[in-house]
This record gives sequence, C-alpha cells and structure tokens, in this order.
Amino acid sequence: MKLFDPTSKPVERAIKLAPRPASPRGLRLGLVDNTKFNSDTLLRKLAERLAARYHVTVSATNRKRSPSHEIDEAGIAALRAESDLVISGIGD
Amino acid sequence: MSEIDEAADPAALIEAYYDAGWTDGLPVVPPSDASIAATLAAASLQGHEVLGEIPGRNIEVIADKAATNAVMAGCRPEYMPVVVAAVKSLCEAAFAYHGPASSTGGSAMVLVVNGPIARRLGINSGNNAFGQGHRPNATIGRAVRLIMMNAMNTRPGFLDRATLGNPGKYAFCFAEHEEDHPWEPLHVARGLKSHDSAVTLIASNSVYQVYNQLAATPEPLLRCFADALGNAGSPNLRGFNETLIVFAGEHADILKTAGWSRGDVQRFLVEHTRRRVADYKRAARIPGAVTAEDETTWRHVFERPEDILIACAGGRAGSWSACLPGWGKKWTRSITTRVEWRET
Repeated sequence: MKLFDPTSKPVERAIKLAPRPASPRGLRLGLVDNTKFNSDTLLRKLAERLAARYHVTVSATNRKRSPSHEIDEAGIAALRAESDLVISGIGD
Repeated sequence: MSEIDEAADPAALIEAYYDAGWTDGLPVVPPSDASIAATLAAASLQGHEVLGEIPGRNIEVIADKAATNAVMAGCRPEYMPVVVAAVKSLCEAAFAYHGPASSTGGSAMVLVVNGPIARRLGINSGNNAFGQGHRPNATIGRAVRLIMMNAMNTRPGFLDRATLGNPGKYAFCFAEHEEDHPWEPLHVARGLKSHDSAVTLIASNSVYQVYNQLAATPEPLLRCFADALGNAGSPNLRGFNETLIVFAGEHADILKTAGWSRGDVQRFLVEHTRRRVADYKRAARIPGAVTAEDETTWRHVFERPEDILIACAGGRAGSWSACLPGWGKKWTRSITTRVEWRET
C-alpha cells in the first residue's frame, strides 16, 4: 500500500536581491506601514533614531491597503526609485 | 508517495498519515490511485491543473493535491466540485488569503452552499446545520482546511498563528434552506441565477447564537442581532466589517410574516448596530480619553447594507439564529463562486 503525499511546497521563483549597503549612514530610507495598530508610530520613532544616529532621511513612505495586501506595483516602483533602504514588516 | 510495511493493517496506514504530520488531528481516509482519480474525474479535472494561487506566498493549489486531501477528509468524489469552488474562493485576490488564514484571530472558513448541488449532495440545511452528523457538511469543510494545511502551507504554529482558533476550523460547511426562505437565496442576492450552484466563503472568528422567544415583530428581534454584533469585543471596529447572519425557522418566519425584505433587514442593522464612542473608549477599543462629545457620538459597525450577508438555515423549531462576524471587511471580502457542475 502507498502513502500519498498531500502537501505542496511553495513554488520556487528567482528573486534578485539588491546589494546590502555596508552602512546605513546618509542613505535614503523608505518606510512601509502595514496599517497594524501603532505601526506608523513605531516606524516614525525608528526613523527618528536612524536619522539621529546615521543621518538617514525618510525619502518615501507607503501605507498598505491592509496587512493582508501586498504593496502594489506603483508603490514598489516608488520605493525602488526613491530609497536605498526600506523598513517593512511590523507585526503584533 | 512511499511504501509502508504495515500495509495489511488499515489502522497502521492511518497512523502513518499521523506520523507524517498530514492530518488535522482526526484520522484520515487513506487515499488510493483509484479514489484520487475518481475525485478528479468528478470535477472534470486533470491532476496537473492549477486551481488557484496565492502569489504572496508562492503557493499554487494543484488539482491532484486538492483531490488527495479531499479523499483524506472523507469526501465522496461527487463532493469535489464544491471543494474546488471553495478553493477558488480562497485564492481570489479580494479574499486576501494571508490575513484570514494566518491571523491570530483564528478564523473558520465558513462555506454556504446554494443551488441544485446542495440538494443533490444532501448538504444539511436543516436541524443542526452547523453541527455534526452529515457527511458532506463535515467532509467538504474538512477538505478545505486540509488543503489549506497541506497544499497551502497554512499549518498551526507556522503560517496559521491563531491564538485560540475555533472548532469551526476543523470544518464549517452548510447549505441554505432555500425551499422555505423569506427572500431570494444568498447566491442570487449576490448576482448568480437560482439554477446556479454556488459556494459563498466568509472568514469568521466566531459563531454566536442569538436567542429571542418573545419577539413577534422584526424590530425587537433585530435589536438582539445589533446588540450582539456591536459588542465592545468585536474585531475590527476601526475599519467597518462584514458579517454573516443565519436566520433559522422561527426568526425567519417573523421577518417573512412582517413583509420585511432582505434590504429592510440589512438597513435596520446598519442603522442600529452601533455604540457610543464613549463606550468603545472606556473599553479601550478606541484610543484616547472620553470627551463630552463622545457620549452622544455613535460609532457604527457596518458601513453598507450589502456588508451584512443573510442566509437561512436550521430547524423549523426553536428561537435561535446566529451571527458569524467576518474577520474584517477592510482586509478581506466574502467571495461567492459558481460551482462548475451539471446535474446528470
């Protein structure tokens, strides 16, 4: 008799990662607010600390439609064009 | 697939599925080549077909895997078209799968089946419609959850982060009682034809039964629903909500006798499902100190009449109905999908 595997693995897709910056000093910072409660506050405080310590500047912000939705293509393009570093992924 | 040594003992085979981590905690029906093929055939599917995908998770739901899980859940082959429609609903972009499937809120995937297929399969719409005892109700709902766990990588503690979950996460499927309905059935209200078969999917954190044995007119009866749905612990008070209400026999009769339309019920509930801002602030559901203005300012739970889905099911006797609050309209929308099926 056989066991039939009912599982599927995620489909593998090639993802090209941007080169990691050696230091955040002086970089342009993008923020993705996923709309979780207080995520905007937490991101703002993070940005303030990074600005004080590394002189980063907030260059782009994206407020997602909801935590469940992905950033739309226009939002991704804007982050790519205007940011060197992006912070995303606030949980609860 | 792999070979096991304990082939002669069905219980050993069931244990092997437990050992592999492929069950929902209940024993599964071990599939065979024949049962999987019959299940695919019943839905006119080829094994390699993609039923849907969740791009953000790199998930594709393949027909062969869906059929395997349906057999494991105990489905008869002819149930498969309903399972497929439910999976397609899960994969609709507007359902936004990641949220309701992974949230700490622990939603059940509630399936309301309408149309000729519900009657043909014998999906229970009557007494104990949410409860035990009917194979299609139990196994179609279970198949959808097994597909989520096994074929969509949504396992408890991993990408299913439910704090408590709820028993409806094992299975939650029922049919609408279309024969004795005050209005058009749910799938017709949502744009399909009465001769269509359909599945409506809504993610719901909870079921609470609403009781009223004294109300003889719609207003006092519906105030009980408004009160239940506006409670301070309801999810997503910030962003408006969707909900499913299921009226059972006696309550449906009150609405029918009074001549209230579906829209009348929906509009009443939009207007009356509310609390004062002060109440929500005192319960820390809205931030900030209570002001004098908050004492006379209302916060409504529903934005639009169509955000209140209404179905009829359950026994003829008893003063019970139910509210199934949605996981959140702002983040996910209920989906109605036509079942691809022809009565033969």
